[in-house]
Amino acid sequence: EYEIVLSGVSDTSLEKNISLASPTKVELTCKLDENSNLKNPQVTWKRGSETISHTSKTQNSWTIQLTISESSQLGSYSCILKGEKEVSATFHLHVPKIEGKEKRIITYEGDIAVMVCKTEYNPKAWTWYMTNGTELVPINTFLHTDKFQIQRHSDSENRLKILKLTKEDHGVYWCEAVFELGSSKGSFELKVLSITAPLKPFIAVVAEVAILVTTIVLYELYSKKNRKGGEREFDQIEQL
Amino acid sequence: GERKEEEEPGAPEAPSAGKSRGTGAAAGGWAWGVVFHFFLVNVLVMGMLKTFGIFFVAFREEMGGSSEQVSWIGSIMSSLRFLGAPLVAVVCRRLGERPTSIVGAGLVAGGCLLSTQATSVPFLCFSMGFLLGMGFACLYQAAAVMTAKRCRARLAFCNALARSGMGLTFLMAPFTQLLIEAYGWQGTLLIFGGIMLNLVPSSMLLRPVSTRLPRESAQNQHRGSSVAKKDPETPGGCLDGNTPRELQLHRAQEAPTTETPPGRDVSDPANPSALGRLQEPTPESSSWETPTEAKRSHKPLAASRKEPAQPLLDFSPLKDPVFFIFTWSFLFSHLAYFVPFFHLVARATTLGMSSRDGSYLIAVAGITETLSQLLSGWLADHNWTKKYHFHVTYLLLSGATSLLGPLATSFPLLLACTAAFAAFCGGFMALVLPVLVDLVGVEKLHSYLGFAAFFAGIAAMGGPPLAGWLYDYTQTYACSFLFAGACALISPISFFFEPSAQKWKLKKANL
Repeated sequence: EYEIVLSGVSDTSLEKNISLASPTKVELTCKLDENSNLKNPQVTWKRGSETISHTSKTQNSWTIQLTISESSQLGSYSCILKGEKEVSATFHLHVPKIEGKEKRIITYEGDIAVMVCKTEYNPKAWTWYMTNGTELVPINTFLHTDKFQIQRHSDSENRLKILKLTKEDHGVYWCEAVFELGSSKGSFELKVLSITAPLKPFIAVVAEVAILVTTIVLYELYSKKNRKGGEREFDQIEQL
Repeated sequence: GERKEEEEPGAPEAPSAGKSRGTGAAAGGWAWGVVFHFFLVNVLVMGMLKTFGIFFVAFREEMGGSSEQVSWIGSIMSSLRFLGAPLVAVVCRRLGERPTSIVGAGLVAGGCLLSTQATSVPFLCFSMGFLLGMGFACLYQAAAVMTAKRCRARLAFCNALARSGMGLTFLMAPFTQLLIEAYGWQGTLLIFGGIMLNLVPSSMLLRPVSTRLPRESAQNQHRGSSVAKKDPETPGGCLDGNTPRELQLHRAQEAPTTETPPGRDVSDPANPSALGRLQEPTPESSSWETPTEAKRSHKPLAASRKEPAQPLLDFSPLKDPVFFIFTWSFLFSHLAYFVPFFHLVARATTLGMSSRDGSYLIAVAGITETLSQLLSGWLADHNWTKKYHFHVTYLLLSGATSLLGPLATSFPLLLACTAAFAAFCGGFMALVLPVLVDLVGVEKLHSYLGFAAFFAGIAAMGGPPLAGWLYDYTQTYACSFLFAGACALISPISFFFEPSAQKWKLKKANL
């Protein structure tokens, strides 16, 4: 049920990403655009170096049908159209990806960090890992109930809550979603700042403000003293 | 040769100059200080409003809540800036501009700091929406009126100069993004609170203009009434004539700002208390001009100002036809200004341009607008004709440009159209405050500006939903340009009634 239309003009290869969670049958079709220059090309379907035979063929579309039942069958399948020029299109079959977070999550000491792991389909299981050097250590919530909490927000969303953050909690955390056809991981980078980090620029700005205010107040008091003398003179002139 | 010392902003900054001789220069220096403060207010206030979008994303992630709920915070913040104006006008008249401005700065800084502790969207609605909105209203009102009071001769240029601060706000966005990536939204709000505190020392530059002893006030009141007898053509305090005499007398007119109770037009010849204090003959009083001016501008804040009991909320603008003329124009011109820029990038993308081109358009629009504001302000200050004539011209031109907007379908055409529209928008935006000052004078500026801002706020609240609805209904962004063009053409209609409104007021005052 997936199709790519080729125009046969440019050399750029066209791609499509397909997410599969559980064993299913897929139909991949490469269709040639009516207006293209390529006439009656020779079409081959390949996966890596392995050639696959067509399942069906019409005048300008070529289809293969695949039954994906295990993770080794996932990968990139391409159709290659050879005529005067050679054009190709690729279908990438993979397990659903996890939407993690590329940017660092900034939190403060003593605060709570929440990491949200979302995916398109409903995985069979979720696992969270923290990194210890280069090792991935699974997080056992039963052991540390007051530190880690895992909440199943919905079938496709899972949340890790880290309480009472300390500086040592910084690092990369991994979320793994297990599907029938395999598992996929997403990473989150946690950065724990101490309260003093933003406080320093803040205090610097407040100090600058205080200096300005004091300067202005002092200037006004000074000019007030100078004015007082002049005023009395003026009053006397008026009374004349 | 007709420029008075006090309004000459070109005078060198010399606050420590000699007492009486240097006062002219010092007063000019204070005018620059006020313009600088207004500039800073524009930068920080508009910067905060514009970068709210970045915080929006962070708030949504942290606190959940639907996109609509979180956007309430931004709506409250930007609409309270206008809607709070009448209340702030009252506070300003009671406390004076400087304390109000300091309170405003405090509210903004406090709101930012309080928001760092926020845990839910309603909390943020109060701390960031309400506190910040009211703080902005305070700052804006105080700064605008103070600018009008200080820069009399070159008000349009000073106003444009201060408004050019809005052009700098494009720097705030990457800066905010940087801070959020380094410190998270809480740290960023903390630092913003500190930055907003900078508005406190700059508010202290808003030195009160009219502070004097009671005896002086007698002189000035008398001068006020003599002005009334001599100048029946300036009922609303229209500062159009340029004779030195008239200007000096008008300066005296401005003096009883806080003494005269509101609602009492200075042109009212039947001014009982002023008549009662007729002591010195007129020619002598005008010779006291300069030293009195000197004293006035150097009275420290501690000097007490006698204020007769004023009604708490002055509704007199609502009875004034000139007010409706101005507000009608203000409302529609704001709608016209706002809607096209809202949809400009979207229109560009529908025409097939990349978002890079879109942001380029916005940048060009911003720069053109800033430059044209300055030019328009400088031009209007020459007083070759009444300022509102310029205002009307710019409005008509921008309306015409906007109506031609849908014809622009390629990038160069759209760029040209945007630049032209931005130029004319800058032209009329710079003149809004000077036109209001021309129409009603500086004494009653607070109440008029307050109520005008209130009605503009209602329009501003309706602007985004209206623009969105227009798109949904017509499925094309071209309609936004037509709508803006129509608004811009409707808005100057009210000014055609201005001369007859003035005559009506005069007749009413002479009854």
